[in-house]
Amino acid sequence: MRLLIVEDDLQASGAMATGLTEAGHDCLCAADGEAGLAAARAEHFDVLIVDRMMPRLDGVGMVESLRKDGDQTPVLFLSALGEITDRVTGLRAGADDYLVKPYALAELAARVEALARRRETGSVQTLLRVGDLEMDLIGRQVRRDGKAIDLQPREFQLLEFLMRHGGQSVTRTMLLEKVWGYHFDPQTNVIDVHISRLRSKIDKGFERAMLQTVRGAGYRLEA
Amino acid sequence: MRLPRLFRTTPFRLTLLFLLLFAAAASAFLAYIYIATAGEATSRADAQVLHEMQSLETIYRSDGFSVLNQAVINRTRGERLLLYLLMNKNGQPISGSLTRSPMRDFAGTRDWLSFELIRRDADGSITKRPARGLEETLPGGERLFVGVDVGDAESYAAKILRALWGAGALVILLGLAGGVLVSRNVSRNMSSLTAVIDRARGGDLGVRATVRGTGDEYDELAAGLNDMLDRLERSVGGLRHAGDAIAHDLRSPLTRLRARLEAAVIEVEAGRADAKAALQQALEDADGVLRTFAAVLAIARLEAAVDTPSPNLFDPAALAASVAELYGPLCEDKGLDFKVELAAGLNLKGNPEFVAQALANILDNAVKYTPAGGAIMLRARRRSSGDIELSVTDTGPGIGPGDRARVVERFVRLENSRNEPGVGLGLSLVAAVARAHHGRLELDEGPGAIDQSGPGLRAALVLPMIT
Repeated sequence: MRLLIVEDDLQASGAMATGLTEAGHDCLCAADGEAGLAAARAEHFDVLIVDRMMPRLDGVGMVESLRKDGDQTPVLFLSALGEITDRVTGLRAGADDYLVKPYALAELAARVEALARRRETGSVQTLLRVGDLEMDLIGRQVRRDGKAIDLQPREFQLLEFLMRHGGQSVTRTMLLEKVWGYHFDPQTNVIDVHISRLRSKIDKGFERAMLQTVRGAGYRLEA
Repeated sequence: MRLPRLFRTTPFRLTLLFLLLFAAAASAFLAYIYIATAGEATSRADAQVLHEMQSLETIYRSDGFSVLNQAVINRTRGERLLLYLLMNKNGQPISGSLTRSPMRDFAGTRDWLSFELIRRDADGSITKRPARGLEETLPGGERLFVGVDVGDAESYAAKILRALWGAGALVILLGLAGGVLVSRNVSRNMSSLTAVIDRARGGDLGVRATVRGTGDEYDELAAGLNDMLDRLERSVGGLRHAGDAIAHDLRSPLTRLRARLEAAVIEVEAGRADAKAALQQALEDADGVLRTFAAVLAIARLEAAVDTPSPNLFDPAALAASVAELYGPLCEDKGLDFKVELAAGLNLKGNPEFVAQALANILDNAVKYTPAGGAIMLRARRRSSGDIELSVTDTGPGIGPGDRARVVERFVRLENSRNEPGVGLGLSLVAAVARAHHGRLELDEGPGAIDQSGPGLRAALVLPMIT
């Protein structure tokens, strides 16, 4: 994927670029909002990673300008401001996701991939399929290899999120945010327990385990 | 040149404006009164003169000149209410009370005149009185003048006018004096408030305005100012405290991280340790510092906040159910009996995200410290006082009465929790959330000691009802 990193802290953007290039992406860095806006207008990118506070033109201003142009490229906001109101203004400006500094590289990479994927599947889907796992979003049914799997409502939501991001790493924070709607990290391994329950339902009795743990990152649903 | 301070005050300017308006209104009023009284006197005199003239003319027409002459002579002898002068064709006086016509160049047949009657009294003094008259040429060519002394009417009108002017002047003087008085009163009240504002601006947030208890708008203003200063003082104090707390709280974990890195460099150089493993360890330590930082910052911000940050109306039972749903499987995995008891129809105004986090922190602790086979009870209910209570009761070891106040302080970890994960900020955050909602965190003994376990802990987040 082609990514634009707009960040005035050059050390941070350099580290980000190194990590994301390692993960197989093509990165371009811009040092402030105006340079970022010019780059985003000149070329096509799959995802824009935009720092919120920058000299000259800040992230909010840059994204608002882009959205006014009709540019719908997914934007991930990076910010040291993590309060609820800060997140709300960021998302209202047109950002698609919000990551509070400091963050782990794995978290950043997972979110960037999730954003790019969301764009690919822009159309409304009623059926999700990852490998031999099928989810009927209208009938609320899940089958693996034709065999029906009975899930609790929250397990269904969890699996839906994992299937929508099939093949990608999703972090525990992402799951807590997107599936439960919480923006804090519990001290206990609550998410792991939910995942292992889901795993026991979809992988039990099958030779190959689909729901995998990615060390240092989170989980991945493999086709 | 600047006017003295008193004359620059708003009340004084308002007084002047009102005086100006009042003077304009009074002038119009005076003019009306004058026209009404003086005009009325003149027109009454005119009617009197005209009537007399007509009756004399009638005499002339019916009885001739000599009878008219006799009539004028007779009337002149009367009480001299009216002034008469009968003249021949050449204007020579024949009879009457005037020696000559006040009309200088009489031409035509009929003319009105206002003139001054000069009267010489017996003692020789001369008085001038306003008079008004009508001169006519009679059909035979003779001329007749009938006039009236209007001095009394005019002097009456003049008296009224003088009285009105006097009253007007008095009103203006009183108005000015009142304006000065009111302005001084307002200035005095305002200057005490201005002095408070000046001192607060100078950095003294402890200063307060005097509320005199009269309940007037100055008191309201003073009370409002004091309330604002209270909030400002608390908020600034909170921020100062937060800054100190963050500096203090981060120093130790950062020192630890630094020491570990230094040791790692030595170990790796000596070939005793693996560089990659050392880096991994450093990364984990850094994550720990960042987690601590996030928690300390959240607590500090909550403590600095005077009011609940971005409050919303929500159902705390629904929120508790959602948090319970998150923790249910974990409890089951640990072999804990997790029960939830939620009252219906609860309402709370607050920040649901912080309340959820507080509840999650309490549950984290309960799960961590309750041994397998124990039980955890989550309860949401309304107390008889109306307060909302979100409580978690466990059958773990509990917290001794002497330690309960201490554990909510930052970084306090009791002896038996040393081996559990965490940095000792969980309950501090819960307490900060409670305070930001004007509520409190209550820590009590749980169900009591049974067999080897207990006595357990009951942690209750008590939040005041909506007011």
